[in-house]
Amino acid sequence: MPSGAVTIERFKDEITAAQYREAADTFCRLITQEGEPLRNTVRTAVSAAAPFVQVPSHMMQKPDGEMRGVNYDHTVLGWRGALRLSPFLPKEKALLPTLQAMWYAPQGLNIWEQIICEFPGHYARSENCNLRYPGDDPEVDRFDGPAWVPPKIHFEDHAPIYAPSVDEGIARLLNAIAEGDRAESYGLFLGLAENPDNRERLKEAILFAGIVDLQDSLINRGGYQNIGHKALRARALVDIADYFGWDNAHEIIYTVVPDLGCSPRLYGLWTEISNTVKIELAGLGKIPKRSDKPLTELELDRLTYTILWGGPIEVNEVISGLLRRGAGLLDVTDGTAVAYQRFLVDVLEHPSAFNHPMHSFDYLNVVNHWIRTYDNPHQVKTVYMTARFINDTFRANAMFPRDPKVELEPYSAYRPYADDIALDRLLPVLQEAILKQDTSRAGALADSYLERTSERQELLETVTYAACHFQNDPHIMRNCASSIEEYTANQTSRRDDIVRGFVKHQSRYIKRTTVHEAASMYAQHFMKT
Amino acid sequence: MAEHTNGTANANGAATLTHTRSGDKTASGTPPCNLKDAWAMRNATTQAMLLAEAHMQAEIASASLEELIALVETFSPTRSTGPEWTRSFEPLVERLWLRCSDETMVALEADFTARGMPWMAVANAFSPERGAQLRERVRPTAWGRLPRFTIA
Repeated sequence: MPSGAVTIERFKDEITAAQYREAADTFCRLITQEGEPLRNTVRTAVSAAAPFVQVPSHMMQKPDGEMRGVNYDHTVLGWRGALRLSPFLPKEKALLPTLQAMWYAPQGLNIWEQIICEFPGHYARSENCNLRYPGDDPEVDRFDGPAWVPPKIHFEDHAPIYAPSVDEGIARLLNAIAEGDRAESYGLFLGLAENPDNRERLKEAILFAGIVDLQDSLINRGGYQNIGHKALRARALVDIADYFGWDNAHEIIYTVVPDLGCSPRLYGLWTEISNTVKIELAGLGKIPKRSDKPLTELELDRLTYTILWGGPIEVNEVISGLLRRGAGLLDVTDGTAVAYQRFLVDVLEHPSAFNHPMHSFDYLNVVNHWIRTYDNPHQVKTVYMTARFINDTFRANAMFPRDPKVELEPYSAYRPYADDIALDRLLPVLQEAILKQDTSRAGALADSYLERTSERQELLETVTYAACHFQNDPHIMRNCASSIEEYTANQTSRRDDIVRGFVKHQSRYIKRTTVHEAASMYAQHFMKT
Repeated sequence: MAEHTNGTANANGAATLTHTRSGDKTASGTPPCNLKDAWAMRNATTQAMLLAEAHMQAEIASASLEELIALVETFSPTRSTGPEWTRSFEPLVERLWLRCSDETMVALEADFTARGMPWMAVANAFSPERGAQLRERVRPTAWGRLPRFTIA
């Protein structure tokens, strides 16, 4: 029976006022006390945030004339990850990722203003705004919310634009995104999306538009990059619109599509790979998605070695060789996915160094989803782009000497300990190790489990549930979703390495806080005995 | 062993393919190379590396503090020629700990610590704790001609 204690209007106000604790609590009460359907409540939250997640540009000129990067909206990435994870988790735990997405959403509005300390939220806290502009009470970080001004709208909602045909509409849409005409691209998308017959083509096209916009290198580029965010946002749009139903998708389209045309738009790598493919694969004909000649162990080793330690042209060369000898697109990207894990497991140590590699793996997941689901003659180029992006993040990390102060103990030190734990007691211990960010112990436990049983579902659930205790960071939900999806689809003999990488990532990647307020709130509302 | 295919150019400059026997890398116009030759090449390379190593160690031992600082500065992301150069930082650190005096290492740590956060990983490589670890790890064995250096 609804109590009327909390209302949708109050919920919207709390979101736009950056009152994230209150909004998350209201979210829980709307579902558990007022009987609001989950889907409607999530849609309300996305709709409330939609006008306030655009930025004028992803580059900002600083007072001294230099440029800095402006972060991409992450609210939508948290929602998308959470919605993918909910069906995967057992009922009692299923909504924890969704509550984490809700907890974050009010902290991610008006990113431009947060960076210049004019609006509260995650980025304002990261910029240490409170040190520069403290409030009356020095004990209180006023940039933790609530907001003292309403959020700004940088891109007004627009009316649909109708093209004479779907072919012309999609061609104009892609051109408008590339040219940075946000009003044209958004209007065309709205117009095309009205017709259910257009939607599959539209989904394919918007993923393509996001995937091809990628920096050529991160090395010494500062903020002049997007670390795959155009692709990540396009995937979020597709998944969330599918969840809402496309007739109810206006606000998620408003959230995502205008940003695809936002500056900077980076087509350097796309251009280079287009040339490479023309020359290296001339006369090869149509390449299958999967072949009957998957990568051999030796080829997997060579691909791994090259992605980890080679340069960009060497990566191109290995991939061209695999495709020329008859490997399919997904045969190669599956190999790239497991190659990535060796860097994660064997090389990465500093918790701050996971960020760019993680984005490249999430980008791979978008590309693989696009190849698995749709057809497009350009897909072969993205096989190169994925490997190049991953290789580049490794090279960018390697530009900084390793810090011996954060050296990890080898997993082998804990292997006897892990092997002594009975299999049916191991997963709770692994969960605890992830919650404590005890990487070496977690890695040894995962290795031991993987070698002693073929069970994987409960293992992946355990890692996901533990990871989603950490709040304020939508990357966590996104990476859990990517890891599970890639593990499920990967057809190499080494797909368990994706689980190993997943455990390493979630037990080591830098956390924005180690406080578990949101998880406690979840237990209070959804795990009542 | 699989059959090898070597590319050569004909009089018109167009590539032709010369198929060779299994295990024999011989192609028209190139000298033969067999297992014995490969081992000879390995030995020559090892000798060249030992000489380079000895030369490098002598250079380190005789370098001034300013020269060492200038070398370490090349590992800054804005001065490094690329990841391949920066990845060689740890082998360099091993050699510094083995060939430089404790006073020099203290001075290196102080210099890079004073530069703040961007140089912290470098400064930490010169901490006494790290030095003790490395000196233990790469100490020459009685039968070894040289310490068990990492090479890259």
